[in-house]
Amino acid sequence: MNIAWGSLGLEFVVSLIFAGGLVSIFALGLRLLAVGAPDQARQGADGETTERLADGELSLSHERPTWASLGAYLCFAIAVAVVLYGIYLIIPQFQ
Amino acid sequence: MDALAIVILVVVLGLVFDFTNGFHDTANAMATSVATGALKPRVAVLISAVLNLGGAFLSTEVAATVSGGIVKEGQGGIEITPVMIFAGLVGAIMWNLATWYLGLPSSSTHALFGGLIGAAIVGSGFNAVDWANVISKIALPALFAPIVAGVVAMVATYSAYMITKRATSRGAERGFRYGQTVSASLVSLAHGTNDAQKTMGVITLTFVAAGYQHSGTAPQFWVILACALAIAGGTYSGGWRIMRTVGKRITEVTPPQGFAAEASSAATILVSSHLGFPLSTTQVTTGSIVGSGLGKRLASVRWGAFGRMVAAWVVTVPAAALVAALASFIVSTGVIGTVVVVVAAVAGMAAFWMLSRRHPVTKDTVNDDEDVLARKPATASVEGAK
Repeated sequence: MNIAWGSLGLEFVVSLIFAGGLVSIFALGLRLLAVGAPDQARQGADGETTERLADGELSLSHERPTWASLGAYLCFAIAVAVVLYGIYLIIPQFQ
Repeated sequence: MDALAIVILVVVLGLVFDFTNGFHDTANAMATSVATGALKPRVAVLISAVLNLGGAFLSTEVAATVSGGIVKEGQGGIEITPVMIFAGLVGAIMWNLATWYLGLPSSSTHALFGGLIGAAIVGSGFNAVDWANVISKIALPALFAPIVAGVVAMVATYSAYMITKRATSRGAERGFRYGQTVSASLVSLAHGTNDAQKTMGVITLTFVAAGYQHSGTAPQFWVILACALAIAGGTYSGGWRIMRTVGKRITEVTPPQGFAAEASSAATILVSSHLGFPLSTTQVTTGSIVGSGLGKRLASVRWGAFGRMVAAWVVTVPAAALVAALASFIVSTGVIGTVVVVVAAVAGMAAFWMLSRRHPVTKDTVNDDEDVLARKPATASVEGAK
């Protein structure tokens, strides 16, 4: 029997770094986009309140410091790069 | 039995299996996107179908063995005959339809392996199966996949909620929906480059076994095309029953959770296939959704629903094996036996389809928060009240 414990451990760590990193960076980008804007109403148990307010409100109209904008764009750029790397890994012709 | 007739049956059943594989696995990539409203149901299955179609053409790496080493094939082992593959496919299709009817996500790959195991045991005895490989390639990955994906998704979800102040910062919900669409598409594409190849491999190896094709040659183009269309067609047809279970029954999925779950699934699947520790897509995505529920709030996972899925995973291989063993046994009696199995298989498919019509789940009801079988049937039967 051949159980690849090493592979399993590595699998866990690398997945955690990629998924955790991608989600955190993307979330950070969203947070930076919202700098200077008021928070939305606390989410209700079913999320309905936030959903109504959030739709169509990803506007750039509120005052946002330049550093926040730049930081947000950097975060999204990294997220896009990670996704492109994922596509590169999926498609065998690229390798 | 005429060899050509069996080969034709294998091709037809292979494509049927591919189709069930498609609608069984739509939920893996798209259930959370449909549940959060990031994508309309029809759009979600269309994207998934197109990516599965494309993925099927992208990857030319077709499995070199039908069973991936579960059954001792080739030199020193047994010879896998077209009849065995035929019986194995009958078992896999029946189990896929049964779990679809119950709305349970289960691994189509495991169903196929189970079917082949059952057929091989009837054909050549228990020694035909490499039981160590059954444990290391089916049982242990099934145990680890949901745990690894679940912990990864839990950490990712927790992080997403912390950073965006529980998704109350302006535009966060909407942003997460965009992210979710992209990460779900990645899962779909990865699925397309894997699953259609299994059926291509099964059909091609049947041609080789029957002497219609040389060993070691690539699949015929029409086989690639037919398999790609079958899995894409299955994907587009929806599999709403399973999607509702995955998207609504395990936990109430919100956009941050959906994004974190799909990103975790994509990462886990990609990393696993590159490190040589292949994990079931179905079990990874289910684990991710459970993890995303835990990451949001520890109590928000419905363990009863998850428990039923785990039970289905445990039963998948033996159940498909049993059906395949029965089919294999009947086929071995000759032409009449083969006809009996074909008629029974068609009747079984029709029966599951008819049963599903009594508690239908469509794109319009895919987000209803109720058990697939809990809906009051039109007839007086209360079979679904479990």
